[in-house]
Amino acid sequence: MADFEARGIPTVGVATTEFIEGAAAQAKSLGIDPALVFIPHPVQDRTDDELKKLADDHFEQILAMLVKGG
Amino acid sequence: MTVLLDPTSERSPTIRPRLPRPESLDGLAIGILDIAKSRGDVFLHRLGERLSDRGIAVKHYAKPTNTRVAPLPLRQQIAAEVNLVIEGLSD
Amino acid sequence: MTDQLPQDGLVAVVKRDCPTCVLAAPVLGDLARDAGLTVYTQDDPTFPETVHGRVDDTALNISHRLKVEVVPTLIRFAAGREVERTYGWDRSEWQRLTGVEGLGRDLPEARPGCGAKNVEPGVIERLKVRFNETGLRSRRIEIGEDEDEQEAMYARGWSDGLPLVPPTEERVLSMLDGTARDPQEVLGLVPPVLAAATVEKIAVNAVMAGCKPEYLPVVLAAVEAVLDESFAMHGVLATTMFVGPVIVVNGPVRRRIGMNAKGNALGQGNRANAAIGRALQLVIRNVGEGRPQEVDRATLGNPGKLTYCFAEDEEGSSWEPLSVERGLKPGQSAVTVFAGFGLQGVVDQKSRDPESLSRSFAESLKAIHNVKSAPSCDALLVVCPEHHRTFRNAGWSKARLLEELYRLCEIPGDELIAGAKGIAEGGPPSLAGKIVNKFRPGGLMIVRAGGDAGMFSGIIGGWSAGGPRGSLPVTKEVKP
Repeated sequence: MADFEARGIPTVGVATTEFIEGAAAQAKSLGIDPALVFIPHPVQDRTDDELKKLADDHFEQILAMLVKGG
Repeated sequence: MTVLLDPTSERSPTIRPRLPRPESLDGLAIGILDIAKSRGDVFLHRLGERLSDRGIAVKHYAKPTNTRVAPLPLRQQIAAEVNLVIEGLSD
Repeated sequence: MTDQLPQDGLVAVVKRDCPTCVLAAPVLGDLARDAGLTVYTQDDPTFPETVHGRVDDTALNISHRLKVEVVPTLIRFAAGREVERTYGWDRSEWQRLTGVEGLGRDLPEARPGCGAKNVEPGVIERLKVRFNETGLRSRRIEIGEDEDEQEAMYARGWSDGLPLVPPTEERVLSMLDGTARDPQEVLGLVPPVLAAATVEKIAVNAVMAGCKPEYLPVVLAAVEAVLDESFAMHGVLATTMFVGPVIVVNGPVRRRIGMNAKGNALGQGNRANAAIGRALQLVIRNVGEGRPQEVDRATLGNPGKLTYCFAEDEEGSSWEPLSVERGLKPGQSAVTVFAGFGLQGVVDQKSRDPESLSRSFAESLKAIHNVKSAPSCDALLVVCPEHHRTFRNAGWSKARLLEELYRLCEIPGDELIAGAKGIAEGGPPSLAGKIVNKFRPGGLMIVRAGGDAGMFSGIIGGWSAGGPRGSLPVTKEVKP
């Protein structure tokens, strides 16, 4: 993610809530403030329909991270 | 951990700020990068559908393996082909 | 026990790697046994064998707290405070301080001590950092273990494009040892953001540039010079033209720090030349936030904006150094900064007299910026030793040469009018019939530099708005 931003490409990362602390630690050690959206853990055992619904539920939130004022 | 002294005027925060975002998504292309963790593909594909429904150009990419960072040629290709990136799913 | 000093009693600090400490070991043993002496050892915890309860101070914490400078040091405490101390071995001193008679009967009367480990270069800085006594005020930036230091500095925008020396607290402390000035002294406000250039901030950038501490006074003088109002640093930075600050160094400091005034003086390979010029540019970039394609609007710029600093070749010159010409005393170390760019070479391998050589110079000078532009910018003429010899042999002072060059740089206005010579660039028709000089009075400076072989001098062109409306060269003394 830091690599894309370094190349001038605004980026948003999507992660599960399991990753919240890990993301914070990585961000701190790299001195960056990445745009992140967290979806509820777990993900591996969800059905296709459940995953599509998660995508729908978080769609606006993800887009907001890619525009000004979002 | 190394501690360095700041050579600057210290007017800006120590954390590197995010890039400024565009005013709107009109006319821009979004790249969706699947970092190859389980079930991310379904989630990301749905995001892609929703974007296309909105008339926003979408390109899908995938990392060959989730254990390493995306290879340089892939990163360069993405940076050349799209204006914004959604990357996921990390857990 | 290791961190506790006695409220009342005797303390000694020693190291094995000190012949005087070894010599005094039996006395230390006696005092430890009979007078309650506590002995701290700086290097080898098995020394001295004569003292059974010796304390390991290889971490040097106690030595640092006690501000030991020489070993052996012997200290007497009373009521929790130090009463007195002595160092080295001196029988009468030791007997007086301890109140014990008959010490070291087999030893000589006195023997000087050795330097203590805790004040060795590098060590003292580490200790100050450990004890948070650095007095440094710059914000601390933590670079995580995941991050490469070089990439971290690049990512934060600190670099001029080349790798930097990471400015750790120890390195900056060492750098500040290169000056007697207070780290918080403010030299001026750096454009465009007008942030304070403290000695400390300059030191941080000097570390990154690759300077040694002994270069710092020259860097400080250069920063002072560019922040002088008459240099017009903001304009020099923001211009679309080519220029950046060029630093010429005069005086004894050149040799003391090993600068290059001879072969390839304007090129690469000399640490002082390269690092001093680079440090100035990094201060402009990092403290002032002057960066290309931001406030720095240079169309092309020039390679000298990475670094452009050299020493004048004063030894054996019949001309006074630039700093003396500009009003400083002979023998004073000084820097002169000039808003300049590039190097236009002047090849003249045939002129045997000063008149002919002057004409070579003048024809090249008249081409700076554009043959049609006059008055044009200021210029710095760097005369190589073989060319200087021609003037010296003819008895031409620098003033004489300047006078000749000014005369030769008079240009008929008709040649300068826009359209003349088929060139649209140029001046108004009112120039017809007039004479215009390429340079403003005082706009030409001359220094000698370069290797002894080769008849190749150089012209460093200036900034169009040179003069009181633009940038003036500034000379500042190098202060310790």
